[in-house]
Amino acid sequence: MLAFWRHLFRRDRPESGPVTLGRRRVYIIPTRSGIIFAVILLAMLIGAINYQNSLAFALTFLLASLALVSMIHAVRNLYGLRLTRGHPQPVFAGDTARFALSLENRNGPARFALRLMLDGQQPITLDLTQNGGQWIELCRHAPRRGYLSAGRITLYSRYPLGLFHAWSNLNLAMSCLVYPRPDQERGLPPQMLQERGSAGDQGRGSDDFASLRPYHVGDSLRHIHWKALAREQGLMTKQFGGGITEELWLHWEQLGNLGQEARLSRLTRWVLEADELGLAYGLSLPDLAIPPGRGERHRRRCLEALALFGLVDGEAPHGPQ
Amino acid sequence: MQPPLQQVIEQAGRFILGKEHPIKLSLACLLARGHLLIEDLPGVGKTTLSHVLAGTLGLEYNRIQFTSDLLPADILGGTVYERDSGAFTFHPGPIFSQLILADEINRATPKTQSAMLEAMEEQQITIEGKSYPLPSPFFVIATQNPTYQIGTFPLPESQLDRFLMVITLGYPAHDAERALLMGRERRDMLQEIKPVIRPEELLALQRQVREVHASESLIDYIQALLAFSRHSPWYLTGLSPRAGLSLLSASRAWALLAGRDHVMPEDVQAILPYVVAHRLQPADDTTVHSAEALVKPFAEVPIP
Amino acid sequence: MGRNELALTPPGHGRLWLLGALFLVTLPHLLRMPPWLSISCLLIFGWRLLHEVRGYDLPGRWLRYLIVFIGIAAVGAAYRTLLGPDAGVALLTVMLCLKLLELRTLRDAMIALFIGYFMVVGGFLFSQSIAMGGYLFLVVLALTATLIALNHPAGRLADYRLYLSTGGKLLLQSLPLMLLMFLLFPRLSNPLWSVPEQGPSARTGLSDTIEMGSISNLVQSQAVAFRVDFDGNVPAADALYWRGPVLWHTDGRRWERMQMPIQREPPAFEVLGEEVAYTVTLEPHRRRWIFALDLPLNRPRAANTAFYFLPDFQLLSEREVKEKLRYAMRSATAYRLDTLSPAMHAAATALPGIANPRTRRLAQQWLEEGITPAEIVQRGYRLFREQPFYYTRQPPQLGDDPVDEFLFSTRRGFCEHYASAFVTLMRAAGLPARIVAGYQGGEFNELGDYLIVRQSNAHAWAEVWLQEQGWLRVDPTTAVPASRVESSVDAARFQSTSSLDDGAGFAALRKLYRQFRYGWDALNHSWNQWVLGFDRQKQLELLRKLGLHTASWGWLAGIMVGLVMAVVALIALLTLFRRPPRRDPVARLYQRFCDKLAKAGLPRQLDEGPTDFAARVSAARPELASAVQRISQLYIRLRYTRHGGTQDIESLRRLVREFKAQI
Repeated sequence: MLAFWRHLFRRDRPESGPVTLGRRRVYIIPTRSGIIFAVILLAMLIGAINYQNSLAFALTFLLASLALVSMIHAVRNLYGLRLTRGHPQPVFAGDTARFALSLENRNGPARFALRLMLDGQQPITLDLTQNGGQWIELCRHAPRRGYLSAGRITLYSRYPLGLFHAWSNLNLAMSCLVYPRPDQERGLPPQMLQERGSAGDQGRGSDDFASLRPYHVGDSLRHIHWKALAREQGLMTKQFGGGITEELWLHWEQLGNLGQEARLSRLTRWVLEADELGLAYGLSLPDLAIPPGRGERHRRRCLEALALFGLVDGEAPHGPQ
Repeated sequence: MQPPLQQVIEQAGRFILGKEHPIKLSLACLLARGHLLIEDLPGVGKTTLSHVLAGTLGLEYNRIQFTSDLLPADILGGTVYERDSGAFTFHPGPIFSQLILADEINRATPKTQSAMLEAMEEQQITIEGKSYPLPSPFFVIATQNPTYQIGTFPLPESQLDRFLMVITLGYPAHDAERALLMGRERRDMLQEIKPVIRPEELLALQRQVREVHASESLIDYIQALLAFSRHSPWYLTGLSPRAGLSLLSASRAWALLAGRDHVMPEDVQAILPYVVAHRLQPADDTTVHSAEALVKPFAEVPIP
Repeated sequence: MGRNELALTPPGHGRLWLLGALFLVTLPHLLRMPPWLSISCLLIFGWRLLHEVRGYDLPGRWLRYLIVFIGIAAVGAAYRTLLGPDAGVALLTVMLCLKLLELRTLRDAMIALFIGYFMVVGGFLFSQSIAMGGYLFLVVLALTATLIALNHPAGRLADYRLYLSTGGKLLLQSLPLMLLMFLLFPRLSNPLWSVPEQGPSARTGLSDTIEMGSISNLVQSQAVAFRVDFDGNVPAADALYWRGPVLWHTDGRRWERMQMPIQREPPAFEVLGEEVAYTVTLEPHRRRWIFALDLPLNRPRAANTAFYFLPDFQLLSEREVKEKLRYAMRSATAYRLDTLSPAMHAAATALPGIANPRTRRLAQQWLEEGITPAEIVQRGYRLFREQPFYYTRQPPQLGDDPVDEFLFSTRRGFCEHYASAFVTLMRAAGLPARIVAGYQGGEFNELGDYLIVRQSNAHAWAEVWLQEQGWLRVDPTTAVPASRVESSVDAARFQSTSSLDDGAGFAALRKLYRQFRYGWDALNHSWNQWVLGFDRQKQLELLRKLGLHTASWGWLAGIMVGLVMAVVALIALLTLFRRPPRRDPVARLYQRFCDKLAKAGLPRQLDEGPTDFAARVSAARPELASAVQRISQLYIRLRYTRHGGTQDIESLRRLVREFKAQI
């Protein structure tokens, strides 16, 4: 018995692989409606006994049997479902993390009114056709940077009769990487631009936009970054060059007047800006330096470093809310 | 298989020994109206392949060697003032050809690359407000050197999407290489290529590809593959709807090559690595993946 | 859990289902309630329907309270009480309708539905016929489907087949469990507390008084009075006199019973022939007397009821018969009965005052001739044969001296005319005589092997006491020759127990109709015996047959729980671990094919296409190659090409059925 309870309320180690809901994973309990139904059945039984009414007996027993059978069907509605965790795409703090989950009904009958929810969130409801499958997304607000765990996922259903609540708890080791919230201030700091030589043509052409640098007298008006001016970031000149690569270092130290989280926010913004402009940029943090690079993977690497900066095991800095 | 297609493959196979699979893939790519990117070392026969294809299919052929100083106008052409007529006339560049070999495309600057790729995508070029349609059929075989070399500009991920397939040729098998070494000079042989198919026939075949039946079950399978790529932990980002369309049209072409009027799940599986691998980024960046290895996780998707 | 889901709004399609199902539940009750009350309830249904379909507003809170108050008051006014089954069920009906006006959450809907189930039981209080049982079973199906619809938020109205089939499946799976519980649930022999009297409110069948014309009205009815299962042979038709009330007192027109002390055992008499053993299933008629074959030998045996005898062999139940009553009897059809107490003698010879003077004169005339009492009886009987008496269902109205008028002028009458005229004649001649009311004959239902006695078999006959023979049954009606019987139905009444074909034209149709009627009646009879009549006694009987002789309550309950659990486990095994067949026939057939190969050790991989799989199997098992290729090609044709038709499915089905992978 004790083992059963421990089993029932175990804090499982998170599972990574696909989970198939077997006999020992689906639990069942009568709902409040189920209890009311039982009381009504009892009243019917007393009436049947008292009036010695055979059909009343028959109906009472039929309904009692119906409840028992519906219990089996409530379990069956979940039994054998196969759940595979998806791979949550990173989000920025303040956004909604989406945990995708695949429900597959490989060998079972059609399933109805399945409900899935993350702890403390609204459930979503879906049906599955026979041998069908579906990807669903469970949403959770991501308040702060670091890893946001999906936590416990509950799959439950009251189908068919609403008399029984069948459920299964899953801990699917899903966590979403949450990047720091990018600072609202747009634009890159001019002083951070460091020109460096690189392979390729050194000549300053006019074909390829490469980067921004402070305005020098004599620069063509056509090359002034007007948008930056509009944002009151000063006069900037767009640099172009066939094959010119400019490397940008985003430095932690250069934001000395800000607190830790504000610095991370600002650096996040810079990474996004630099990436948008197609620049090669490097990130320098107190304990880590990422050499300049470009592209999706580089961007992700930098943002991940910012997201996890100073965190142990990716835990959120201030404990759960 | 359609007799002309069979002949195409047979003739190409005589010139490129032991590479029937890449030939078939290139042909499928061509039939599906897609463009092909070959990622491989120099000298494995990329140029020969495109040359043979062009010759066998009777297509006009142009080879453009990409270099870092190649400008968009060098490919597309430009308007030139003609003193005789006193007007600006458009001089088409080398891209105005039915089959283009864009050799070592990653040597050009991003600007030149994107000019090329945009032309490929739109099947026309626009210069100074005027559009010039490219010939039809129009097929680009681009090659790219895989090793990271100083002074190259690897095609960005967004641009890779414009190629229907990315394939590798690889070293020839032992016997094929021996035959190659013992055989005649390839360059001489190439002079003897006779077209076995006319461009109109090729266009008809391209139309036929679009008629190949893809049943609902098959569409279900493709959708399941797309959904899998989007949620699988193996990949950074999932496949786009365009990738789904590419998958379907490549599968149709593959089915036609196999002589069928309907697509089978096996067709999808056959072209899957070449159509999707370059559109996926593995989540772990520690190892270099072959296309086949990269799509291995798709085996988890059951055929409905 | 929980998440207060019951507080959510039930889905729209579920609400419409609910309205429909509750309407079906209340329909039988609405038909029984006073019309103005029923119409008010229907208006409320209409209101809710308009709310669902057209978005009409429901009443506000105070208006609702007012309507509830009016509803309770209306039921009270209509029934003069709020207690008892009639008023109680009416109140429940009205309240259920009113619930529709404030039904908002899923919880409300579920509770309304549960009350609906409860009201089905209410329906059984009023009728337990097969038709009602069938109707209410359909209602239970509708209610169950509604419950499913309410718990399926993504459903639409078009999913009705899903709900009906799921509900039907659930009910079907429940049936074996229900049967177990029905048979094994320990039954009490007495109610927990006394319940108010109820049952059919109108008295039917024979009355305990006879007037000229009272039976001829009754025989128009084809309603069943009772059914009889004989343990042995069925006695001859002319011996089937079912004895009911015995009538002694008369005012010259009307005949009544005599007050007599009751006794527990039948009075003694001499049995002359063989005994007949049988069981009677009596339809409720709200009278105390019950019927037995002339003459009963033993006290009837039945559950829950005690019986008494009157000295004139009337059988009485301790209370009015309001439910079907089954009792086992033995009777003797040939007997000698001598008992005649002075009080009985006085009653049996009394004639009131001055009525029917011509009848008296006739009897006086016979007495003056000096003939023996036995010859007087003969004379009386022959009178009806020799004089032009007619047997008719439409006897003329009679005046102040009804026997005189019948005997000497109208001469047209039914059995009560003959019986009362005969008894009056006998009494006038000084012989003790009495009328016995009851039934005669019956139709033998060969399908069910039992006798049906209908109201049309109602009869009255005479008994005369002769010094040497004791009480003698004389049925003066039989004296009328067949030629003077107006209706051929009546002509054959006393000759056989099979029913009659009158009119030749529709013989086949009539035969068919009779077959159907017998079938239906046999079904009703079994229903009464095995469903409605299943009580403690029957339960013990059944258990004894199964070899359980000492079935105490605890035992019985234990066995029931154990068996129910076993069946639940069985159903669970069958539903949980059986892979349901795929709905798409092509997929299902291919799945069966793959299953066969999987059993032979060649399972298909999840991502293995049909061509690849066929190639792999063909390589591994070359002897199967041709069959595998044919099946795979058909499957591909059906699933992946735009060709493929129904005949391909048929071929695939045949090939897959014939396919054998195991060695």
